[in-house]
Amino acid sequence: MNNSQINRLKDKTFNYFGIFCTLIGLVILAFFIGSIFYDGLRRIDWDFLTSLPSRKAEKAGILTAWVGSIWIVIFTFIIVVPLGISAGIYLEEYAKKSRLSSLIEVNISNLAGVPSIIYGLLSLEIFVRLFGMGNSILAGSCTLALLVLPIVIVATGEALKAVPHSIRAASYALGASKWQTVWEQVLPASFGGILTGVILAISRAVGETAPLIVIGALLYVPFTPSSPMDEFTVLPIQIFNWISRPQHEFTTNAAAAIIILLLITFIMNGVAVYFRNKWQKKINW
Amino acid sequence: MNNLEEEISALKQELLKMFSLVGKQWKKTASAILEFDQDIAEEISSTETRVNALEIAIDRDCENILALLSPVAIDMRFVLSAYKINHELERIGDIAEGIANYICENESAYPKEVLEEVGLKTMLEQILSMISDISYAFEYEDTKVARKIFKKDKMLNKYNADSVTIILNNMDIFDRQKLLSILSTVREIERAGDSVKSIGEEIIFHLEAKVLKHVENKD
Amino acid sequence: MENVLEAKNVNVFYGDFQALKNINMKFKKNAVTALIGPSGCGKSTYLRLFNRMNDYIDSFNLQGEIMVENKNIYNKEIVVEELRKKVGMVFQKPNPFPKSIFENVAYGLKIQGVTNKAVLKNAVRKALQQAALWDEVKLDLDKSALALSGGQQQRLCIARTLAVEPSIILMDEPTSALDPIATAKVEELIRELKQKYTIIIVTHNMQQASRISDYTAFFYMGDMIEYNKTDTIFTNPQHERTQNYITGRFG
Repeated sequence: MNNSQINRLKDKTFNYFGIFCTLIGLVILAFFIGSIFYDGLRRIDWDFLTSLPSRKAEKAGILTAWVGSIWIVIFTFIIVVPLGISAGIYLEEYAKKSRLSSLIEVNISNLAGVPSIIYGLLSLEIFVRLFGMGNSILAGSCTLALLVLPIVIVATGEALKAVPHSIRAASYALGASKWQTVWEQVLPASFGGILTGVILAISRAVGETAPLIVIGALLYVPFTPSSPMDEFTVLPIQIFNWISRPQHEFTTNAAAAIIILLLITFIMNGVAVYFRNKWQKKINW
Repeated sequence: MNNLEEEISALKQELLKMFSLVGKQWKKTASAILEFDQDIAEEISSTETRVNALEIAIDRDCENILALLSPVAIDMRFVLSAYKINHELERIGDIAEGIANYICENESAYPKEVLEEVGLKTMLEQILSMISDISYAFEYEDTKVARKIFKKDKMLNKYNADSVTIILNNMDIFDRQKLLSILSTVREIERAGDSVKSIGEEIIFHLEAKVLKHVENKD
Repeated sequence: MENVLEAKNVNVFYGDFQALKNINMKFKKNAVTALIGPSGCGKSTYLRLFNRMNDYIDSFNLQGEIMVENKNIYNKEIVVEELRKKVGMVFQKPNPFPKSIFENVAYGLKIQGVTNKAVLKNAVRKALQQAALWDEVKLDLDKSALALSGGQQQRLCIARTLAVEPSIILMDEPTSALDPIATAKVEELIRELKQKYTIIIVTHNMQQASRISDYTAFFYMGDMIEYNKTDTIFTNPQHERTQNYITGRFG
């Protein structure tokens, strides 16, 4: 075979290999979702969604869990978004590039790899005990905010980096200050990337279980929270709880709860992706 | 060498050819007059066609360089001066042919006495040396040599001014047609001298960016 | 014609590298001055001195004075944002903001605090007319600036600069990214603008310099070799280096 025939063959081979790799992941995912749906779909009804948890599987519902999850998500969002974006802006636009700033940036990325349970332990000492928040939604949100903060900071930094310097130059040349340039031009232009980072962060937060357990999210919460200082539980914890029960009916409940959790995740992502695409249309470098 | 340098070099070679042709024309004309050789006069006419063709070719080359290569500074001055030198050379060649034709119009030679009085031989030698000088100045880009011809041209002007009286004095002694031919010849040589002077001015414009047209003292 | 910009004993360093050596130069008001020279000769650095855009480069160091309307703009009291309202800049690659045409042109005024809609509308129209772009875009000012062609984008950037009403416009190779027709339009615009503005233009294109400028300065390796009226530079330059450069005998 001559050279170009060999190359053609390599091409085709990779083509099929790539299809295989892609399908394998999808197939496994489809299998997983399929089996969950098979187990849990019939359990979902209005009662399930609006009932409090109970020792009897048929009566148990996920009301407190999903309401708790929503509260946690909202408060985590409120804490992490301004903190993370501001830090990202500072590091990228304001901080002088020096060895110190590079060191800081590297370590922020490293933080994203720290096991989440460590954050739980840290928060237990600082937020729950030292600050006296107790095992409240506020403490849970602070914990998760810390956990996902690096994701937002890094994503913000990358999004800002992607804005061409020529935009900043044009703004400065017209007499804008640094803040005006960042606020009026750079941030709007990098909004898509930042939003993606926030989506990733919140998606991560929705599914976290270990740190919340450590700070004291309860396994059995018979009430819906009415203030951020209330005790709480979240869907993953509820799922964890049900899976540890011996009765088979609770497994069905768990499957149903998983479906709801997935639904919440997909809806959140979908909404965020929709807004990101709408924004992205305006900007094509 | 880039494209522009090549084109300018080629243009210079073409002009040198022109200088050479015109110089040869004048040598032949000088012989034709002094030896009254009507055959040479015929040769001159046929060479004139080549000179005219060369003039047109050089014109076109100048246009092309201007349109395509946008010369500036010294290159631009060279092309502009080449354009004008081209026309002056053609005129000088034309004059040579014109003088040669006078010989053919006459049946016998010009009277030697008149020729001596008028100083035609000296004039012819002068114009030949001027053409030689200016060719050298062009080829070697020598403005000093170019300036030499201004003085020589003044001499031709003087001889021309004096010739009218001399011819008038000889009107009753010699053949009138021959006398008129001599007078015309002197006039034409003076005009040729003027053209050589113009070429000198153009060479100095090219090399020194000085405009000597209409200036009295050319130093 | 009075001088409106001046460089006095200007030396510029980037760290140890000296980019400009002992430049002394006065720019004439309401004239177009072209800065020409081979790549890396310092002309862009020189241009950016006049609106202090070199300040963003860490290793930048200036010795000497840059005078704009008789004030040294590198003095501590000078507010850079105020300077840039007087001295505008157009860049090599058109860099409109990813916003609408209207918002692009209005930006310079908005950051000064102008909020009156009527005032902004008027200013935008005036600027677009001055930039010879109004007729092409007046029907849809809300269209994204990025949807315009390259030449239109560059004229938009010029309009954006004009809206702030500077008196001096710096142009860094403004047409090098444009096709010949767009280039011709921008050059025509420059020739009209010089009646009201003082324009300094850096260009790699010598024919452009000879077409549109009144004065030309030739830079080579950080030195200013020659500075004279454009017709003199291109018919009879005084320095051999200048002649070698403009006749193409060295890049």
